Amino acid sequence: MSIEIHNISKTFGDFAALKDVSFKVETGELVALLGPSGSGKTSLLRIIAGIEVPDVNDGAILIHDEDTTSISFRDRRVGFVFQHYALFRHMTIFENVAFGLRVRPRRLRPSERVIKERVNELLKLVQLDWLGDRLPSQLSGGQRQRIALARALAVEPNVLLLDEPFGSLDAKVRKELRQWLRRFHDDLKITSVFVTHDQEEALEVADRVVLMNEGRVEQVGTPEEVYHHPANAFVYNFLGNVNLFHSRVEEGKVYLGELPIELPAESAPDAKSALVFVRPHLLEIEHQRNGGDNFHAKVTHINAAGPLVKVDLMTDWGAPVHVELSHGRYSSLGLKREDEVFVRPKERRVFVKAETGDESRSQSTHSGPRA
Amino acid sequence: MNRPFRSHSILPGFGLTMGFTVFYLSLIVLIPLGATFLKTFSAGWGHFWETVTGARALASYRLSIGASLIAASVNSVLGLLAAWVLVRYEFPGKRIVDALVDLPFALPTAVAGITLTAMFAGNGWVGSLLEPLGIKVAFTWLGVVVALTFIGLPFVVRTVQPVLQELDPEIEEAAATLGAGRWQSLKRVVFPELFPALLTGFALAFARAVGEYGSVIFISGNMPMKTEITPLLIVTKLSQYDYAGATALAVATLMMSFVLLFLINLLQWSSRARYT
Amino acid sequence: MVEPREIHINCMATDIANSQTVQGQPIVIGEPRWVRVALISVTLLFLGIFLFLPLIVVFTEAFKKGVEVYFQSIREPDAVSAIQLTLIAAGIAVPLNLIFGVAAAWAIAKFQFPGKSFLITLIDLPFSVSPVISGLVYVLLFGLQGWLGPWLGEHDIKIIFAVPGIVLATIFVTFPFVARELIPLMQSQGSEEEEAARVLGAGGWQTFWRVTLPNIKWGLLYGVILCNARAMGEFGAVSVVSGHIRGMTNTLPLHAEILYNEYNSAAAFAVASLLTILTLVTIALKAAIDWKSQVEAREVRAIREQALAEA
Repeated sequence: MSIEIHNISKTFGDFAALKDVSFKVETGELVALLGPSGSGKTSLLRIIAGIEVPDVNDGAILIHDEDTTSISFRDRRVGFVFQHYALFRHMTIFENVAFGLRVRPRRLRPSERVIKERVNELLKLVQLDWLGDRLPSQLSGGQRQRIALARALAVEPNVLLLDEPFGSLDAKVRKELRQWLRRFHDDLKITSVFVTHDQEEALEVADRVVLMNEGRVEQVGTPEEVYHHPANAFVYNFLGNVNLFHSRVEEGKVYLGELPIELPAESAPDAKSALVFVRPHLLEIEHQRNGGDNFHAKVTHINAAGPLVKVDLMTDWGAPVHVELSHGRYSSLGLKREDEVFVRPKERRVFVKAETGDESRSQSTHSGPRA
Repeated sequence: MNRPFRSHSILPGFGLTMGFTVFYLSLIVLIPLGATFLKTFSAGWGHFWETVTGARALASYRLSIGASLIAASVNSVLGLLAAWVLVRYEFPGKRIVDALVDLPFALPTAVAGITLTAMFAGNGWVGSLLEPLGIKVAFTWLGVVVALTFIGLPFVVRTVQPVLQELDPEIEEAAATLGAGRWQSLKRVVFPELFPALLTGFALAFARAVGEYGSVIFISGNMPMKTEITPLLIVTKLSQYDYAGATALAVATLMMSFVLLFLINLLQWSSRARYT
Repeated sequence: MVEPREIHINCMATDIANSQTVQGQPIVIGEPRWVRVALISVTLLFLGIFLFLPLIVVFTEAFKKGVEVYFQSIREPDAVSAIQLTLIAAGIAVPLNLIFGVAAAWAIAKFQFPGKSFLITLIDLPFSVSPVISGLVYVLLFGLQGWLGPWLGEHDIKIIFAVPGIVLATIFVTFPFVARELIPLMQSQGSEEEEAARVLGAGGWQTFWRVTLPNIKWGLLYGVILCNARAMGEFGAVSVVSGHIRGMTNTLPLHAEILYNEYNSAAAFAVASLLTILTLVTIALKAAIDWKSQVEAREVRAIREQALAEA
């Protein structure tokens, strides 16, 4: 069951939550809608579910090639898992999961026996079959989330939608459930879309990621694609750590302090102000100047507790720099606080966003590795 | 080990405020109530029992309790409806209507009494419409029910309203996405959430109605054995200087009220315990 | 960074989805239009008869015999003394109950001690007791055949069938109002601010005036308004202790009753209309306070969200 989103817009009063959004989710895919708060991702999810209606225009949502605006909830067969689970607190877990089956019109309703079988099957699937008689208040957050999932699956939906499924859980539970969800999806293969603001989660779990910002789709791609080949400055900045430098473009070069970086000729008009993005692990630290392809900085803080060593420095022009080094490199450098060092952008993969006048144009420019 | 009466706090004034509170309560409440109980039993158990189970008394209980139950039930149904409409829908003048729901609570009972009588008497605005249909309201037990309905109206509405307002819209959305129709959602998912508040409102309206005096005595006609409510019987006995009789009835009524109060608290406590 | 906005959107979304047509958009989850119209109509009919109609009737009956008679009824000496007595009773009961309410709320909300819920139940007592019984207990205590009756008779002190009795009965039926408003309010506000003030060196009274009072001002006002409305309008309890002596022990409600029983309907309703005006003022004030405190709560929430957002 594929989901096609065509030109969906949504305004609340003066506020445009979604601006002409289009993309496609293939059958059996697990797609993440990723973006900061206010990006419109939850609104989009709710529109797909049918809980909200988009602005009336030529836009449409097609599930399995059928336009959904004319389909009722019952026939739509969309499963929705709410951020705060929305379990019916006066019903037992069993009754919660059985709800969708019990409210079916008489001719479509399975017998009590069949319902019982199906519910127990689902509870086993989410590994909570021993909780059937409890009330939601007696369950932990992670357990409630899995029950919410089981409940949504009980009516055999074509499409599964999850709104920040792990948002209300603490870090460790979140990590576990994340992996669980991935394995779960691999077994069931239902077309699924989930909303998150946690980029680590999206990159780890999803088949493809849809990055959204301010109601627009910024990029759609696999986690590798969006991380290593970001389409614009927003994506680059949103995913992973990044250093941000204020700079300017002059004669086809962008300056990090006094260090000029060549930019491909065709994409670099002069700009009074530009933003330069560099990932922390793409910066090299050296004790000597060694040819001048670097800029001077002073070490302000070192954090060696972790898989990488994180070094904070301050440049001569007052910009903070964050560099990540391997432990091997760190020990061979013998770095200490207050050390004066030189920082060189490795591979020159630099992302420039120039702000000329009122517009901020993103230039996807980068210079390749030095020979 | 000698534990202090209250746990330590750096805030001052406990002695002063607690002392004044206890003093005030004793003076205004405890001593007078104590006197009542003592007075009752000073006249002897026999007299007490005779008064409390006399024919006139029994008729008054039937009326007071019966009419209160009916009134509270009517208020539950229509009050739930009113709360729903006020919370969920918009219409012109809604804020005024919402504010006016407090009228029966704030209006002096005597004013309510004479006004309702004027309205429902044969020549009144509503009475004149009902009389041709053969429905006599004023000076019958029906009038008592009407007055008690008036008086209990805010209790159900104001108890249900906040619960309804705080209701998470997501559970209705969840029910809808699971395929439940609107009525099914309301019946299976929304109503159970409102039920405890509804029950509390019912109990509060009932408790108020049972002891109500001012709004009822004008419209009821006060015919002994027919439309005489228990509080009126108490007043009648007092005016005849039958202090013991009046007190006996008062104590019986108090017992009923205490039981009710206890039940209400139990209800509220159990619903809170169940869902949190 | 912009968390609050996301929350705001979700609230708006579900509000819209659940409540009404906004800018011509259909309701997604809600009752069909005809159901809504029907329910609103039934409700308005019910509330119209029980809430609006009585208000209209009071005033039409009051002015039935013309404006002249209306003002005559109010200016008549018995009516004037009834007004005075009502004002005296309320004027004594409300301040006393205000002090009691604050004291009780302070003791209950800021301290821990055994028997708290018993105390709260005791404070709720007048609400579960019939007003007639409220009056009765004072007759039993101070009446001729009461406990203290003989002693009072000897000293020629009249409580029952005199003003003091009326004041006492009024105090009894209205003392919970302020306390009931303040207790949950102060409990939910906790003691942190007061403790902070103390640590900074403020004395007991200073702490109360400068820290506690501003926080509870709306609840306090609310309680006072309700207390006053009940104090001026109380009928049953006052009726029992008053003796119905015209011009001396009749409050406004009692005076209205007497006029009504004498078939002087227009005068009775004229008096009733005064009380009704008081009620309407009470309701208006109550609604204004509700609105004001909601606005303040919203402002506080917005400030808090802003602070979190900037953190």
